[in-house]
Amino acid sequence: MRAREPDTEGFVDHDAVKLHYEVFGDGRPTLLLLPTWTIIHARFWKAQVPYLARHFRVVTYDGPGNGRSDRPTASAPYGDEAQGRSALAVLDATGTGRAVVVSLSMGAQWALWLAAHRPDRVLGNVFIGPTVDLALGEEEALPPFDEPYTSTRGWAKYNRHYWLDHYRDFVEFFFARCFPEPHSTKQIEDSVGWGLETTPQVLIAQHGAAGPDEATVRRWCAASRCPVLVVHGSKDEISPLRAGRALAEATGGALVVVEGGGHIPQARDPVRVNLLIREFAESLPAGGPG
Amino acid sequence: MTAVRAPSRTRPAAEQRRARYPDAEGYVERDGVRLFWERYGEGERTVFLLPTWSIVHSRFWKAQIPYLARHFRVLTFDGRGNGRSDRPTGATAYTEREFAVDALAVMDATATGRAVLVSLSCGALWSTLLAAEHPDRVAGLVCLGPAVGLAPPHPERAVHSFLEPLDTEEGWAKYNQHYWLRDYRGFLEFFFSRCLSEPHSTKQREDCVGWALEMAPETLIDTEEGLLLCELASFERQCRRVQCPTLVIHGSEDAIRPHGQGAALAAATRGRLVTLAGSGHLPQARHPVKVNLLIREFIESLGGKAR
Repeated sequence: MRAREPDTEGFVDHDAVKLHYEVFGDGRPTLLLLPTWTIIHARFWKAQVPYLARHFRVVTYDGPGNGRSDRPTASAPYGDEAQGRSALAVLDATGTGRAVVVSLSMGAQWALWLAAHRPDRVLGNVFIGPTVDLALGEEEALPPFDEPYTSTRGWAKYNRHYWLDHYRDFVEFFFARCFPEPHSTKQIEDSVGWGLETTPQVLIAQHGAAGPDEATVRRWCAASRCPVLVVHGSKDEISPLRAGRALAEATGGALVVVEGGGHIPQARDPVRVNLLIREFAESLPAGGPG
Repeated sequence: MTAVRAPSRTRPAAEQRRARYPDAEGYVERDGVRLFWERYGEGERTVFLLPTWSIVHSRFWKAQIPYLARHFRVLTFDGRGNGRSDRPTGATAYTEREFAVDALAVMDATATGRAVLVSLSCGALWSTLLAAEHPDRVAGLVCLGPAVGLAPPHPERAVHSFLEPLDTEEGWAKYNQHYWLRDYRGFLEFFFSRCLSEPHSTKQREDCVGWALEMAPETLIDTEEGLLLCELASFERQCRRVQCPTLVIHGSEDAIRPHGQGAALAAATRGRLVTLAGSGHLPQARHPVKVNLLIREFIESLGGKAR
């Protein structure tokens, strides 16, 4: 049961991939809550939608690979530009001229693409725990993704063959790392459940679509002109806080650090995050026709 | 003069920040035992959130106070044995009558003529006693997961002696005074895992274990023995004398006190029974919105009689 059901929903076809979208509320401006890594689908915004829809119009959609959207097993639909154009297709299908874009983790890449390529559609960007190739640091490199795994411990699980052999175990491992906060059993259970709605084949296809490199990210940041807010957990084990700090610097945006927060603060600190999103959206100059 | 144990053997480092702080607080002393009370909010109608078994103190109402105080005047106090109240020694200091008279003393100290009494678990023993003996002070009763002997206990809880040394520590064998003295935290973690049987209760369990560690196992043994002094026959008579409206809320999955005990209390007091499907023994902690709305609705249904 949901706290808030959508007012309208539908499908949009983008490059032969069917995507499911939902629209809530009718305030101004419109907030576009982007998908993230397709290991989860649009329900990861469940703690945002009911609150934000009381104040704004909210559009969500399942990205390719999960939820009620198609599950392509080729890599092309998962590339940055394809994801950016998917978001544009959803804006068009819902009659949304401009929107405040809110993204989590990897969704930052597509939000940046939008701001750089279609500034006319983006009123502002809220990045939560952004995963972008900025401020790459001393983390140990992941073990080779495509070669047979030689260990089953820790990040060795981030491996094509391991996913095919032990998908649930990888999903459980990953979300335990996403939620280092105590008392996260419900959020982990939710996320694992969404993860099991897709397949390792889908995640492998997604993995094949390389993300933007640092030079590209910096170019997009420079091209981005809209107001930016970065919200980042101080204990994010997936995307280190310095990535969020670097993104805020590169876009001239504001950074809010959630002390003790992990990679998915909108699920574990929803009130804080919701208030930040609302305050940011209300601080923007009137967006004209939604 | 009653002998009193030091207030706390294991003081918490710092209390968690609260969503709402009291508007007034103080102590009332009765027979040499100091009791700490708090008052929140204004309003003509008072809801009195009573202590339960002293294994936890008044913070167990933390999910009720901020909401109810927006609608009513709210009174709480730490039951003798925990929190900021004294810890008298000996089982006779912890009978249901002592808790009932403490509650009256808090009502007097806060100039509370009449209140709706809300109790949890064995708090029903003293709330019904007050309603039976002081009908002018009690506008209504809400009993959550009442621990009352009107129906049989869970069979697994009737196996082991509390007083005698046991040769096992498995399951409910931990409900034993020798085990408490040996591994108090082990008992607490077991007990609250059974109280809070719902999934995703880690925060509520952590809170309860923390509150229980504010008292010593020696005191908890006294409180348990005090409760054992409660007689079923007199309790049944007491229930029959309750005249005020009564609401009983009991979880269908309560592993501490069977749902049948709540149903029997509702029948004995001619009250209303609300069953919370899937809930364990502490619905006020795991289903606070539902419980808060039920309490509010009950109080408002009393109209002017709640004053």
